[in-house]
Amino acid sequence: MRIRPSDRDRFDRMRRVEWMDMESVQLRRCLMVGAGALGNEVLKCLVLSGFRDITVVDMDEIVPSNLSRCLFFREEDVGRAPKAQVLAERASSLDSAVTIRPVVSRIQDAEDWDFDIVLGCLDNISARLHVNSHARYHGAPYVDGATDGLSGKVHTVLRDGPCLQCAMNRSHMKVLERRYTCTGREATLYSRPLAAEITTTSVVAAMEVREALKIASGREDLCVREVMYYDGMSGSIEKVELDVDPGCPNHGDREAIA
Amino acid sequence: MTVRITVKNIAANATMRMEVEPQETMADVIQCAAEYWSKDSGAYILKKGKTMLRGDRTAEETGLVNDDVLELIPDPEGGGNGTA
Repeated sequence: MRIRPSDRDRFDRMRRVEWMDMESVQLRRCLMVGAGALGNEVLKCLVLSGFRDITVVDMDEIVPSNLSRCLFFREEDVGRAPKAQVLAERASSLDSAVTIRPVVSRIQDAEDWDFDIVLGCLDNISARLHVNSHARYHGAPYVDGATDGLSGKVHTVLRDGPCLQCAMNRSHMKVLERRYTCTGREATLYSRPLAAEITTTSVVAAMEVREALKIASGREDLCVREVMYYDGMSGSIEKVELDVDPGCPNHGDREAIA
Repeated sequence: MTVRITVKNIAANATMRMEVEPQETMADVIQCAAEYWSKDSGAYILKKGKTMLRGDRTAEETGLVNDDVLELIPDPEGGGNGTA
């Protein structure tokens, strides 16, 4: 079979996107927090897009209910190994040039925050607020994704824009409080699993990685500044404007925050 | 002065009329609307037009006027596998 010169380069088609800087993308260090449904889809898109240095943090193990939404998990993985480890192994097979480091831990216990881009694939407000404040303090742009059934959201937090906490109100804090006991310790209480399905997860993950590609290409000016709300029933995306909250603790002087 | 507004429940495609005092906050409006529709105690945002309304701002600070239409939108929390 003859292969045309333009087909010999894995990223030839991506280089044809005007603003894409593949050399820069390949050098960026990414932190992906969460190796569940969104994590599987985000990691797939990151590796196929040319990111080569990715750290995946997750503390969990694979259970059968994950298998309807997780591309890289198999039936034989149930109970075999932590999600982060399985995900790193399988996604690495997409590109021999990629290095994926699994970290089996709660993000609250992670110490290394030396990354160029952080991607959130989480399922609770507590972890989101932790990643939001740490990414901001360390100067890394943070792209957060969330889903609920056929609805989804993507919020890109840039150095000069509003953060996740700026968008929160008392209803978020009430959800957060339910995770804690009266002594302030995080409690393991039963909470009803949220609705989730793969098509919405895929759309939200793709939106997250597209924003990461803009950042990695040095084109933060192209990032969507508003919070994007996706409605899978109508197929619509609504952009909601948000300002920096002057009372948000994440927007003071960096030394003052420390 | 009390203002009479409409709150749209985007998820249920329903609306309600509400009277809001100047010192009541947007978080109060969210709580009242969520209780009216007996919604799960999840997280919500409130927006007017294309702008998200800050929860700690009062109706007066937000500049609400009679016949304003606000939209209540569930704020998704999921994305992992519900076990983190």
